[in-house]
Amino acid sequence: MLAKRVIACLDIRDGVVVKGRRFAELRASGDPVTLARRYRDHGVDEIVVLDVSATLEGRLASLEAIGSIARTIDVPLTVGGGVRSIEDVRRVLEAGADKIAINSAACDDPKLLTRAARRFGKQCVVASIDARQENRGYRVVTHSGTTPRQWDATEWAATCDQRGAGEILLTSIDRDGMQSGFDTQLIRLVSARVGIPVVASGGAATPDSLADAFAAGADAALAASILHDGKYTINQIKARCIARGFVIRT
Amino acid sequence: MKPRLAVLCAGAGNRTSIGCALERAGAEPIIVEDRFENADAIVFPGVAHFGYLAEQLDARGWRAPILDAIDRGVPFLGICAGAQLLFARSEEARGARGLGVFPETVRALAGPRSQHMGWNAVVPVGNGVARGWGYFAHAFAPPPAATATVAMSVYGKPFASVVRSCSVMGVQFHPERSGAYGAGILRGFVLHVQARNAR
Repeated sequence: MLAKRVIACLDIRDGVVVKGRRFAELRASGDPVTLARRYRDHGVDEIVVLDVSATLEGRLASLEAIGSIARTIDVPLTVGGGVRSIEDVRRVLEAGADKIAINSAACDDPKLLTRAARRFGKQCVVASIDARQENRGYRVVTHSGTTPRQWDATEWAATCDQRGAGEILLTSIDRDGMQSGFDTQLIRLVSARVGIPVVASGGAATPDSLADAFAAGADAALAASILHDGKYTINQIKARCIARGFVIRT
Repeated sequence: MKPRLAVLCAGAGNRTSIGCALERAGAEPIIVEDRFENADAIVFPGVAHFGYLAEQLDARGWRAPILDAIDRGVPFLGICAGAQLLFARSEEARGARGLGVFPETVRALAGPRSQHMGWNAVVPVGNGVARGWGYFAHAFAPPPAATATVAMSVYGKPFASVVRSCSVMGVQFHPERSGAYGAGILRGFVLHVQARNAR
């Protein structure tokens, strides 16, 4: 049976892992290669690396950092940050990523998802969606939380699925870094709407948070600050999810 | 002497994972984009459409040399779509011709999501491979009753996750990204190549 996935996320700026709250107030958390290696040794299912300032600064994620991390681990690596073209996708894959997360650029040109999927395979293409609650729905916001877009997050997720993305990385901007739980309503809406796997991100507070995300329909869930701050280990998270009845890789 | 493994790269993407993993397994990977000669073994990683890879077999002149090498007993490891290419055909690309080392047709999966993405149990049938968790990322797979099946997994319905016949092996998941279990499979393949060289 396919297991639910526990994923560690490293937000990187200038080669250092940082952590923010609601996409702001970034503070340093450690060296990415050391953290990636540690989480791999602790049984993490996947690593996501996001270069948080790349899009804002109009450049591609640091290829050198990606290469160092890729060589250190033997579990899948997803990389995002400033990916704007097929050439960017190619370079990040060649640097060592297994999957590429495309966010702002897909909103500007949804066909980029299709072209990337055709050229490199759907399995490599992750549509990264940042959502902010608005009235009773969720609005897509790009450029590291600075630019609201015209779409509803659920509808945009469906479009990404149709356009050829192999997976959705769904982040709640409101919950990100707050350690108060995932936005399970957002997860439920998007998971029900798309046919591709959904990775939930934003808000992990305790091991139960990830189990709640799985219960809401997520295929995978991300943790960042609770891991980097040493609050919980991968083992504690996995043990709790197993106790809550989910199939987890051990 | 480290065995030299020709890693056939059909132009798209990540070579780091498989290259590093094969080095860790004790081999010397040689990235090959066209002709390959004198390799101790062939590794065919494939993250792409069956149809695209089938075209590449011909565009890069790989079809005949691969089949010839397999005939001579040169060990061959296909990964993901590279494993599917060992078969005759795939539902993913009507009309595309695989290598035909195994006669069956690769079929669409029918699980809850359109992509089988993540860790799933690899259950041996007989002694061909150990049991463990493999990382899968695909939507098509060889049928469970294929003659060469040595391990199965289940997503919606069962499928062959590892096929093997003599020195030809096909692994549907990504051993280079399947942690210690995957590393063990690659190490086993490299040891097999070394043992053959020693003869």
